[in-house]
Amino acid sequence: MKLLKFGMRFWITLTSVFSFLVGWAMLAHAPKPVQAAAAQPSSSVAPLPTLAPLQPLNFSSNGGGVQQQQFSIVQPSAPSFFSPRQVFNTGGS
Amino acid sequence: MQTLEFRVMSTNALIAAEGHDWATYGLRETRAYIEASERRFSRFLPDSELSQLNRAAGTWFTVSNDLMDMLEQSLDFYKETSGLFDPSVLPDLKRLGYDKSMDEIRTQGKVVNAPASARTLRQAQGGAPRPAFNEISLDLAGRRVHLPSGMEIDLGGIAKGWIVEKAAELLSTYAAVCAVSVGGDMVFKGYPMDGSDWRVNIEDPRDPTQTAAALHVGPGAVVTSSIAKRSWNQGGQSRHHLIDPRTGEPAQTDWLSVTVVAPQITTAEVYAKAWLIGGEEQAARLAAQRPEIAYFVIKSDGTLLGSQNSKEYLNDLSYI
Repeated sequence: MKLLKFGMRFWITLTSVFSFLVGWAMLAHAPKPVQAAAAQPSSSVAPLPTLAPLQPLNFSSNGGGVQQQQFSIVQPSAPSFFSPRQVFNTGGS
Repeated sequence: MQTLEFRVMSTNALIAAEGHDWATYGLRETRAYIEASERRFSRFLPDSELSQLNRAAGTWFTVSNDLMDMLEQSLDFYKETSGLFDPSVLPDLKRLGYDKSMDEIRTQGKVVNAPASARTLRQAQGGAPRPAFNEISLDLAGRRVHLPSGMEIDLGGIAKGWIVEKAAELLSTYAAVCAVSVGGDMVFKGYPMDGSDWRVNIEDPRDPTQTAAALHVGPGAVVTSSIAKRSWNQGGQSRHHLIDPRTGEPAQTDWLSVTVVAPQITTAEVYAKAWLIGGEEQAARLAAQRPEIAYFVIKSDGTLLGSQNSKEYLNDLSYI
């Protein structure tokens, strides 16, 4: 019984140490994580796009300060170049 | 995307959903819901809840939460549009021949004549004009409604949108990306899987086979009201279903259709009708009340007009 206990302790210790060493070796030989800023030359960093300011809506105001809707004439649309998919028609019922 | 087309409310319905098994099941459930809702709120069915309410005018009548919600919204919109949206024009609609479903009218052809409006007749006889819609009483806590004697209401101006909204909510529990369209009143949930917008073509009311404008819209609602669709002939006179509450007669306008893009479909439906009835004279006032909604107008000469905020919905090619 004593011999069995000793054998088990020895086996667990041995496998633990072996596993630790294998893990250490694998990590030591693994490729290092690249630090983006340091790894790339500064000239290759793409500049962030600059967003254009939003166009103000062209509403006119009446005397009371209430926005007044203005009409603009638009041309009936040409045939659409969207990819073929579900189109909904609206025309009243 | 799966689609299901069927006929309901005398018009065509198209419902669509992204997905597979759940979407298929959702489409079936949504169709059943829309058909059941028509049975509840149609004025053409004598057993519908709405018909029962109309017959109970002059007394208190207990209604469902859904009908109460519609009536509450109708009352708010009646006030907001200064009466341009008025569900109590039903007596005038009936007098003008719209006393049966549009499918039946189309099948039977012409309708018989009944000349003067109910409003005109009553006033000529020295009686009070028919009761205004805001004379309706709502008991929200008790879910009871009191229509004044002589009042009959038609929820055609709001019920379809309300049903479409609820149907879309139901369908979205099965498929996050879906659309419900009944007679061109449509609600979109989510964006199509390819990341694009929803495509909506506005029909040319002079020739419905032609497209007047192509829109791309996100989640929300699109509604078109037209005087060209539900029209008929009465005693040699052309009639349509959009009654001007100020005259009791079909609205006289050179605007053939108005299409509204809005976050809420009931708002879109009511404002499309209000714009069509109110015309250019009322357009600015109505637009000022709801700056969040955009609208397009097609005039009788084919001119397409759009509010300033409508441009974002137009296909770029429209500007070529």
